[in-house]
Amino acid sequence: MKFFTAASIIALSVAAALPTAASAADKPVVGLVMKSLANDFFKNMLEGAEAHEKKRGDYELKAIGMQNETDFESQLNGVENFITQGVDAIVIAPADSRAMVAPLKKAMDAGITVVNFDVSLDEQAKKDAGIDLAFVGPDNRGGAKMVGEALAKSLGAGGKVVILEGNPGADNAAQRKLGFEDAIAEGKLDLLDSRTAHWETEEANSVFSTMLTAHPDIQGVLAANDSMAIGVIKALDAAGRSDIKVVGFDNVPAVAPLVKDGKLLATVDQFGSQMAADAIDKALEVVAGGPKLEGWVKTNIELVTKDNVK
Amino acid sequence: MSGMSMKLMLRDAGIGIALLLLIVFFSLSTEHFLTPNNISNILTQITINLILAIGMTFVILIGGIDLSVGSMLAFCAVVAGTVLTIPDLSVFQAVCLATLAAIGTGVVCGFLNGWISAFWGLPSFIVTLGMLNIARGAALQVTDARTIYSFPPSFNAFGSQMVVGVPVVFLIALVLVAVAWFVLSKTVFGRLLYGIGNNEEAVRLAGHSLMFYKVAAFTIAGALVGIAAMVYMARLNIASPIIGIGFELNAIAAVIIGGTSLNGGRGTVVGTLLGACIIGVLANGLILFGLSDFMRQMITGVVIILAVIIDKYRERITAS
Repeated sequence: MKFFTAASIIALSVAAALPTAASAADKPVVGLVMKSLANDFFKNMLEGAEAHEKKRGDYELKAIGMQNETDFESQLNGVENFITQGVDAIVIAPADSRAMVAPLKKAMDAGITVVNFDVSLDEQAKKDAGIDLAFVGPDNRGGAKMVGEALAKSLGAGGKVVILEGNPGADNAAQRKLGFEDAIAEGKLDLLDSRTAHWETEEANSVFSTMLTAHPDIQGVLAANDSMAIGVIKALDAAGRSDIKVVGFDNVPAVAPLVKDGKLLATVDQFGSQMAADAIDKALEVVAGGPKLEGWVKTNIELVTKDNVK
Repeated sequence: MSGMSMKLMLRDAGIGIALLLLIVFFSLSTEHFLTPNNISNILTQITINLILAIGMTFVILIGGIDLSVGSMLAFCAVVAGTVLTIPDLSVFQAVCLATLAAIGTGVVCGFLNGWISAFWGLPSFIVTLGMLNIARGAALQVTDARTIYSFPPSFNAFGSQMVVGVPVVFLIALVLVAVAWFVLSKTVFGRLLYGIGNNEEAVRLAGHSLMFYKVAAFTIAGALVGIAAMVYMARLNIASPIIGIGFELNAIAAVIIGGTSLNGGRGTVVGTLLGACIIGVLANGLILFGLSDFMRQMITGVVIILAVIIDKYRERITAS
């Protein structure tokens, strides 16, 4: 690790010393740093960005992903490689809201425009590093609250619910849980239990079956992503319980039939395929001499129910 | 009964008692543990791990390890899922072809694991670590990282079918346990697998092909991954290239808790069945008990370590 850091510092100083001739030739170069491309959500996002590159035609896109959700190392290396290559902008969905602050500071010091999207960098870590960086992304907490309210409305006050959380420690998991809790408090729902199923279908199926045994009176389930909602719905099918209402998050293609036949009451679409493209637009505005981005540039989210599912 | 199988039975009895104690504890401490529904749930929940662990038992008995089963599960599932969603096939045809495809994929991967490690004399730890990446990459490649869904409803219904409160998928796993038990304890083939785990050189000097038995053990493990993949799809109605992450560790844990030695040569598939039950009962019981997710994870870890410590003592007693 030490070696890599040392190597990247050398690479950085070399890159800073040399004119960035290759990339600055005509079109600006945007380095896109994604999370796991093994995930439908980021895959769609990358495809959206690639389509956007073709459509605009006035910039060059270089994209990197990582192997899985916790593979911080390849993101770190990716950012360092982009610095070495002297890209004009780095647009990043950070794998970790703290770990990625230091390499991004390096990029900013090298004069690269950095735009943070999807998951917000930690405020305190940004302050500690002395950088000010805007965030382009959806309001996970707001989205979770929105879908939670849809459940609350359907159940009425006093409805008994459980939460299936995402990975402990992940920022979006924490935000979604907070949003669910906001909706539970406002809708006066009764939260019986809240457990993680690590975003996974099979684990959600097992964990929820057991929660249902412990609390046969559950009336509603708030799943922090659709993969887990699918596992919950299968458990309800197996138990023959059609009276329990489920909400999810992400609007992945696999849930469309479930929303249509009412097995999934609602989910949230964050328009992931547009999110990277939106962030790239913002970055290019700054590269072209536009004003610096500030604060939180919220991207569109939408509640998806039986009425508007595609 | 020979002295050796007597000892093996005693070992299994010990694990069985541990399982019984857990069951008694959760029955007394939680309200819903010993209800028919919850028992069906537990049996459903342990089925996939049990099937994977049966295969893992063969591999660990010859002193090997297979780290690739989680990735292989995903690869088998997406290949089978692709077959299952081919239009214009009857449900029966589609399910038969998909099952063949899943098992075939598992067999090919397992064969490669065994052959590469035996031919070049490489540790299976490294070879299967390679396969872990190959199979995961292949699963992502064939699906372009998409989830496959919408399987035939009757296939889907099969995954939650019950016979007198026992999940059909669990019965399939039990049949596999019985077959594996027979092969390991009643056939020359099985005894030679134990022999390889105990003393590879002696088996070779007796004129047996080590290559054949090693490749066979890994191939059997691969075939079982294929079956587990079909069970996964029937149970959850999706096949995604990112499923099964870390499943190999749960399967290894079931085998080890079940009293099979990581050095090979000692252990039974009945022990593995009990080991998988212990993991399943703990996972379920601790939720009913109301313990936090983090505490639950810690306790599962403690149980794995306890199992090997107890095994150490048991080994000394049976040796003296």
